[in-house]
Amino acid sequence: MKMPSSLQWRLALSLGALLTVLWLGAAWGTAVLARQAIEEVFDAALQETAQRILPLAVADVLGRDEADPTQRLAQSREHDEILSYAVHDAQGRLLLLSHDADPATFPPWRGVGFSQSATHRLYSEEALQGSVRLTVAEPLAHRAGVGREIQMGLGLPLVIFLPVALGAIVLGVRASLAPMRRFRERLAARGARDLSLVPADDLPTEIAPVAETLNDLLGRLAAAFEAERSFAANAAHELRTPLAGAIAQAQRLQSETSDPATKARAGDIEATLKRLTRLSERLMQLARAEGGRLRLDHASDLRPVARILTDELSRMTGAVRIALVLPTDPVMSDLDPDVFAILYRNLVENALRHGADGEPVQVSLSSEGVLTVANEGPVVPSEVLSRLIDRFERAGRHTDGSGLGLAIVHAVAQRIGGALVLKSPKTGQDAGFEASLTMPIVKGGKG
Amino acid sequence: MRILLIEDDAVLGAAVRDQIAGDGHSVDWVQRLDAADTAIAGVPYDLVLLDLMLPDGRGLPFLRRLRARGEATPVIILTALDQVSDRIEGLNAGADDYLVKPFDLAELSARIGSVARRYGGNPNPLITHGPLQIDLTARSIHRDGHPVQLTAREWALLEALLSRRGQLLSKAQLEDKLYAFDAEVESNTIEVHVSRLRKKLGADLIVTERGLGYRLGPA
Repeated sequence: MKMPSSLQWRLALSLGALLTVLWLGAAWGTAVLARQAIEEVFDAALQETAQRILPLAVADVLGRDEADPTQRLAQSREHDEILSYAVHDAQGRLLLLSHDADPATFPPWRGVGFSQSATHRLYSEEALQGSVRLTVAEPLAHRAGVGREIQMGLGLPLVIFLPVALGAIVLGVRASLAPMRRFRERLAARGARDLSLVPADDLPTEIAPVAETLNDLLGRLAAAFEAERSFAANAAHELRTPLAGAIAQAQRLQSETSDPATKARAGDIEATLKRLTRLSERLMQLARAEGGRLRLDHASDLRPVARILTDELSRMTGAVRIALVLPTDPVMSDLDPDVFAILYRNLVENALRHGADGEPVQVSLSSEGVLTVANEGPVVPSEVLSRLIDRFERAGRHTDGSGLGLAIVHAVAQRIGGALVLKSPKTGQDAGFEASLTMPIVKGGKG
Repeated sequence: MRILLIEDDAVLGAAVRDQIAGDGHSVDWVQRLDAADTAIAGVPYDLVLLDLMLPDGRGLPFLRRLRARGEATPVIILTALDQVSDRIEGLNAGADDYLVKPFDLAELSARIGSVARRYGGNPNPLITHGPLQIDLTARSIHRDGHPVQLTAREWALLEALLSRRGQLLSKAQLEDKLYAFDAEVESNTIEVHVSRLRKKLGADLIVTERGLGYRLGPA
């Protein structure tokens, strides 16, 4: 038989089966021993009866005439006879019979002692050199009836108590395993990206090390993710602040000097520093996209991120060139908002850079989490589209981007299980370019 | 305006300070949060520029503490580029605006002006006052259609008066707005700037309340 996979049922079944077998065995053993003891007691009673009756029978037989060889003892009072007896002489003639006895009950003489017929247990005794032979018979049915009563006495409590005991085993096992069940339920109830520790104080000592190891692992994983995240934040800060300082100083120099050559040189420094800023930003984004944690253990609305970035990118381009369409209800996702920002910024910057000058970039985020960024412009050939995603591939004539944008988006898309779809011409048009990507969405608010 | 700059990077801080001072504002620059706490306890600042990562702590808890105390001083946060979550958190914590490093100094000046105007109750940077047409963003002023040039200090003084239209500003309040902690202020500096503004923009622009201070004249 195949054992069930649940530990609870395994324990309950094996304990229950063992208990049943042991109990039945004990009951059977008791019944056998009791039966033997009863046989002995009954036999002793049979023998004692025969030996007590025999002198009476002898006296009776000697003191009567020969005319009526067979006599039934007169019944003193009406009763059911359990023990019956018969007295024969050496020739086998029946001399005396107890009042209910059937002569057929008594087999031919086989000597002194116990014997057994198909229906009776018999004991024979003789006197006067074998001329008076007494046989006492007890019906086997009587003994069997007594045996059955004893077995019933032993068995009935078994029938009542065995189910109770089995039930108690099931309950006991359930109660003992309750901490494990709670542990399992707590594990099952948490989100896939929840790295908080699982409470395991009430676990039995056999299982506690498993929970400890799990919590230790979860803790280390959470710490690693946190370190990675704060490293990304710190690296951004450590790198950008000096760059910001240098750019600001170059700008001060431009506004403070009246020498056109110095002004131009400061402008060059500023432009180079800005290119360096963009490149370092992209490299950090790529590292994040390929190695970092992209999803959090809680969901947040993506719309404010889209609004803030649209505002920022519009400020940078100096004109409102971004047409953003957002749903009215929150778009909840467990995607790290900073990662969404990386996707959004790269797609929109790409569209701003490569789209036709002066034409707006259309950005939309649907309630299903599909981010679509479309721009006007000539059709991009399909073979260029497929190569676009390769790192450092540049699609257009401008060279101020580091060319990493779509590669970063592609790397993130692969890891969040969405696909970056590039289309040219854009949907329903005969020109333009469109990029779309589906964000992981958490339905029903918080998750 | 009197502005508190909280930024630990010496190079960036110096450039920002020079830029704001060049716009005619007075700047106190601190590089640590404890120094910022001390400064903000003693001076009624018109605006705070707050970096989010400082040697003795993060800027956001500082901002939350400030708002929890009921300080309504406008705050612009300075943050690193790819942390949109920081920006959202900053705005939720009570920041009025943010600038992403590296930022253009011209952008910084524009943001400071726009936040200050919003707090002055009139977000419109175009102001007409009697014969004067003032564009606070472009920092240009026309009197009867003719352009007038103002120095940075004169602008700062005019902005201070415009932001509290009709209210009396004491000489000490105006000095606070025009000069930082460590600046040497001559006793009659405010009077000098007031008389220059009157000369350029009309005598009844600024009303003197003798012994009390100044206020903007009726339009």
